[in-house]
Amino acid sequence: MTEKKIWKGSDQYICDPELAQAFHMARVLAMPLLIEGEPGTGKTELPIQFAKDTDKPLFVYPAGSKSNVEQFVAKFDHVKYLRDSQVEVLNAQREAQGVSKKLSTGGRSTDRLDDYVIRGPGALSYSSPNSVLLIDEIDKAPREFPNDLLYALSHRKFVLPESGKIIEVSEQDMPTIVITSNREQELPTAFKGRCIYHYIAFPTPELMKEIVLKHHPKTDEKVLNKAVDVFYQMRKIGLERAPATRELLNWLKYLNAYDQEEALEHIKEMDSSGILIKTKADMEKVKTRAKYSTTNSI
Amino acid sequence: MFDSLPDHFRSHGLSADIKTLLLVRKSFKRGLITTLGDLYLVLKGIVPTDPSQYGPFAVAFYDYFLDIEIKKGEKLEHAVARSASFKDWKSKKLGDDDRELDFNEITTLVDQFLDEVHLTSYDIQEILSGEAILKTDDPDRKDTAEQDDVSSDEDVTKAADYSKYSLQELKERMERVLEQQRRKHKGGDHWVGEEGRSPYGQRGAAIGGVRVGQQGGGKMARAVIGDRRFYPVDKKAKLSDDNIDVALTLLKGIEEESIEMRLDIPNTIKEGVKMGGLFLPIEREHKEKKTEVVLLIDNGGYSMTPYIEVVTRLFSKMKRRFTHDLQTYYFHNTIYGGAWSDERRTKYLKLDKILKLAKKKCVFVIGDADMGPYELSDSSMKDWQELKEHFRKMVWLNPTIERLWPMSDTIPIFRQIFPMFPLTPEGVEKAVQEMNKKFVKS
Repeated sequence: MTEKKIWKGSDQYICDPELAQAFHMARVLAMPLLIEGEPGTGKTELPIQFAKDTDKPLFVYPAGSKSNVEQFVAKFDHVKYLRDSQVEVLNAQREAQGVSKKLSTGGRSTDRLDDYVIRGPGALSYSSPNSVLLIDEIDKAPREFPNDLLYALSHRKFVLPESGKIIEVSEQDMPTIVITSNREQELPTAFKGRCIYHYIAFPTPELMKEIVLKHHPKTDEKVLNKAVDVFYQMRKIGLERAPATRELLNWLKYLNAYDQEEALEHIKEMDSSGILIKTKADMEKVKTRAKYSTTNSI
Repeated sequence: MFDSLPDHFRSHGLSADIKTLLLVRKSFKRGLITTLGDLYLVLKGIVPTDPSQYGPFAVAFYDYFLDIEIKKGEKLEHAVARSASFKDWKSKKLGDDDRELDFNEITTLVDQFLDEVHLTSYDIQEILSGEAILKTDDPDRKDTAEQDDVSSDEDVTKAADYSKYSLQELKERMERVLEQQRRKHKGGDHWVGEEGRSPYGQRGAAIGGVRVGQQGGGKMARAVIGDRRFYPVDKKAKLSDDNIDVALTLLKGIEEESIEMRLDIPNTIKEGVKMGGLFLPIEREHKEKKTEVVLLIDNGGYSMTPYIEVVTRLFSKMKRRFTHDLQTYYFHNTIYGGAWSDERRTKYLKLDKILKLAKKKCVFVIGDADMGPYELSDSSMKDWQELKEHFRKMVWLNPTIERLWPMSDTIPIFRQIFPMFPLTPEGVEKAVQEMNKKFVKS
């Protein structure tokens, strides 16, 4: 058994100890890690940063409303296959007519069905030992998708279409699989049962400050405190679309263009709140609140 | 191992079975579990499949492994403080010192107890690498200063003493398991050795004066108990901010299956190649699942006012989900020949426009259906009938209390036309089931 060391995050990525342990557990048990949580809690970042930090190949499959297992595992390119078989017929005819020039099939042969199989991220990561595989936003995929994945996940093997070739991976070489979900759709229980489940709660203000500093290390402390304070207040007032980590990071990127005093003034005036607020109704709500609070300023 | 665990966890509404046990055993074998804190985290990764199960999970865990019963609505700290396990641990820790402790002292002790419960091998690593000690040294000194005036070195040694009493219960339990394991599988030695070698001895020394649980599982467990986000939603409760998400996942279940024939390109090619390049089209059934939703919302009148906010919030969330497939119309009390396409009711649409929408759309009417009998005119009734005939799938969601429906003048009339459900997560679930019933043309 290869020793798998616990990964605690990197210079760019703060990994919550509990998440780190769940991730470690998933790797040791060779099971996929299913991470659920609000947007902006760093779900997708985990496998990306892990792959980067440990120098492992990363394969990403972003799920969408049209996702299917074919795209994920492998597809058979029927059009190319048709073209090549036609080319073969043509070449035979040309030869019969004594024409020496032949059309090329680009090294593919219709005898070798494997030539026409286009491998998706699933098949690619299974054939590359100890790689990292990210299935992003699986809740966006049609309901059948997670169910169809079950087989591959529990048997550690894929069967390629048409060619029938089997890609199998041993438990040691099993890729590190991370699946993320925003909980827009309930995933099938059987699917969840095959995964290590971890729910990321939204970071506390203290952790958030650390996260910000990882991204923007030069942020002024006073500006940071005030901005994080405002950010959490906004999350509290029940907006339609509460700002998430990404928005805060963008906002601070903007504020960092100014010196301390100017930045604080910008926070007070809320003139850059378009970075944090994404709907018109929310904007109005925030503005009315801001009016109340300008009297008791910074 | 832990034979009774699945039953116990199931009694708390969690799903656990023999597979859970096998995974726990695998985790033991692979060295994932050396402390109770580790076991907590492993089980937490395996058993709950939703944040709403974290609460019951923590309760079940404390009950099973520590005999600490957390009553409904009780804080974890309180449950611990009155438990026999804690008292036992405390008396061993404090030795002869059996004077009455004040509130602060108890709090500190409970914290220490929880830290020990949730101490994981990860924490131990952290501490050994010195980071945690440096980080938490100062604030912690103050905490213990009142209890014993000793230098930090001595404190650590002293701590090592009580380590061997810590969580006696767990040890006993684990030892029993260990024995079972040994008898059944020789491979069990692996983690026995490990256990004997490291965690208990180190744990005590490591934990002396250093607060670790605050950052690991202990924090989560404490946060989880008493936070209703981590408990299952009461499906009979009125729709509110807390359970909107549950209702929405249910709404997502409306399925529209359509079958059409499409050219089957792969098979056409395959057969064509077999026939030497003669391609005959082959068709196959193509199933598509699609949900298109129409909302008819009663947003006028005093009777609807208390519900407007929650209804709009539910559907503003829905809008984000069905982005392209959601149409909303508004009416006041009942419909008279048409409805409005905006919330403020300025853009009027005649009924025949609405009736031009695809028949297969799922229509939800949301309203109290309660009005003076004179308001519900014959022509209005006819409008509703027409809608009902046009849309195959149409249900009514009523925010008022179901018990009172028969008392109303008009609700019984509407119920004769539409299947009506209360606007609760359970009601929404039933409405969705109703929608999913296979439509049989009469």
